Amino acid sequence: MLDAFLIAGLFEVVMVAGLALLLHLQLGLTRIANFGLVGFWGLGMYAFGVLYIQVDLPFGEPWQFLVCAAFGALVAGLAGLLVGWLIADLDTDGMLVGTLGFASAVLILATTEDDLTGGARGLGGLGFPYDIGSVKDNEFLWLVIATLVVSAIIAFVWRVHRSPYGRLLIAVGGNEPLARSLGKATFRTKIWLFALTSAAMGFLGAMYAVFVRTLETANLGVDITLAVMVGLVLGGSARVWGAVVGTFLSVGLFDIVIQFYLPLPREWYTQAIPVLREAVFGLTLILVLLFRPLGVLGDMRRDTLMGKIHGR
Amino acid sequence: MEFVTQSLVIGLTEHAPLVLAAIGFALLYRLTGLINVAYSETITLGAYFGMWANTSFGLDFYTVLIPAGLLAGLVSVATYLAIFRPAKRRNVGGLEMIIISFGLSILLRHGLQFVFGYPVRFFDVPAPDTIFVLDVGVTSFRLLAVASVAVLSLLLYLFIQRSRYGLQIRALASDENLAQVSGIRPLAVTTMIWFIAGVAGGVAGAFYGVGSSVAPLLGWRQFLFILLVVLVGGTWGFGGVIVIGVITGVALAAMALTFGQVLYAQLALIVAFMVILKVRRNRLTETAKV
Repeated sequence: MLDAFLIAGLFEVVMVAGLALLLHLQLGLTRIANFGLVGFWGLGMYAFGVLYIQVDLPFGEPWQFLVCAAFGALVAGLAGLLVGWLIADLDTDGMLVGTLGFASAVLILATTEDDLTGGARGLGGLGFPYDIGSVKDNEFLWLVIATLVVSAIIAFVWRVHRSPYGRLLIAVGGNEPLARSLGKATFRTKIWLFALTSAAMGFLGAMYAVFVRTLETANLGVDITLAVMVGLVLGGSARVWGAVVGTFLSVGLFDIVIQFYLPLPREWYTQAIPVLREAVFGLTLILVLLFRPLGVLGDMRRDTLMGKIHGR
Repeated sequence: MEFVTQSLVIGLTEHAPLVLAAIGFALLYRLTGLINVAYSETITLGAYFGMWANTSFGLDFYTVLIPAGLLAGLVSVATYLAIFRPAKRRNVGGLEMIIISFGLSILLRHGLQFVFGYPVRFFDVPAPDTIFVLDVGVTSFRLLAVASVAVLSLLLYLFIQRSRYGLQIRALASDENLAQVSGIRPLAVTTMIWFIAGVAGGVAGAFYGVGSSVAPLLGWRQFLFILLVVLVGGTWGFGGVIVIGVITGVALAAMALTFGQVLYAQLALIVAFMVILKVRRNRLTETAKV
């Protein structure tokens, strides 16, 4: 059995990898610049938590979890539809404002509506939809379930890369006017992709809420957006496995290797290591985009293949 | 009537640094085409440099504006030379450029804690005098902020629109090759833009810092509003940025008074600006990339 801290570290990695895979669809393929990822994830988390705690539902576990998580995903998906409609025909600058503004709005609402969300005090009382023994056992099972969910996302992304739909997304991201001139509904494609991936982010938010059991507005800061973006960019934003590899190299390095396997003084872990983690993540974004813009894994497989065929 | 005067006075005095910061940001955005997320850390660093000069050398608040502005300007130039210029030479795309600036923002925000320490810091200044303007009490620092923002904005506006260097800057922004042919040195002029933008951000940061506290998130908290002001006001040039910045400040104050909650005011403003951007559906006129 794994150490409790290791379970938490691995859960963080799995969560970030799942979000990075979804961001890969948005940013890597379709080139929708989502800088407010935490907003969709956090909205799903809070919608789940509020329904779970504040409303008496007439059924027991695991249905309560499933219904509430579906609600979280639905709310995040609708928000994705709205924000997608707002930004899909704007340039990158407009997308930056739209998604950042949305993330701020979620943070503001989670803080002000404290009758529902608990505000700065936090919203406690969430639990696992099963009980198989100790807290550690429950957490471990939840880690396994989260891993299965993220594996399903990987399988989906893998399918997308090999489907006509994936080629449509790549076309929209690569040259939107061209795709439109060929009769593709680029605006609609972008909106629906954004809504679908936002809903999935909301679902991951609900799963995160179950693991941490208390919702705090501190979770709605820029940290998770940064971790996801570093994972994606470091691994390679054009490749299916980029998000996973990048997350293990960045979040995995800090939250697992440095946290557990390096003999560092205890007092460093309260402030120095978390601050260093963020600073290194920021530096990683700069260095990777300057010196290896396509990340560790490099170009899309199909582009490498085409390059070989055509001798480029 | 009381509500109007209160909104006006509080809005203008409390949010004057926003206008100054927005002008600096607009300078970079309109003249180099770059959305520099790390500009928020230029503001934060201005506050930290001011606080450092104030607490280490005992300089009074009015004097520390000079080192705060100059040092923030130098940091701004350093980020251009070390990161954005190499990135541009490597033909990094627009979206990647924003991600780079986002990474730089995070790096500076957390790196500065290793230099200045983790706890929230404060300026060591005597309590400001309260002066009554239209029956609304305002601290002397805030009045000074309004005065200096007004003067600096005017100077910047005149510099860009009327001076020889301003002409060079605008020439470079609209056609780099042509500007080079006419003998303008892009590196020198671009460096100057980054320096001036940094000074504006640094001074704004010092005003924000003396008004409350100096913390790593100081600039980032303002960034979204700066961005909104510049994107919405920027289409009408620097005058538009100033006007929209002032309107934003007054609107924030008025709504905060109405709702009794600053966060609702911010939320309403975010929504309003998003609607404006959507309605205008602006693919902003392509500015040149310096």
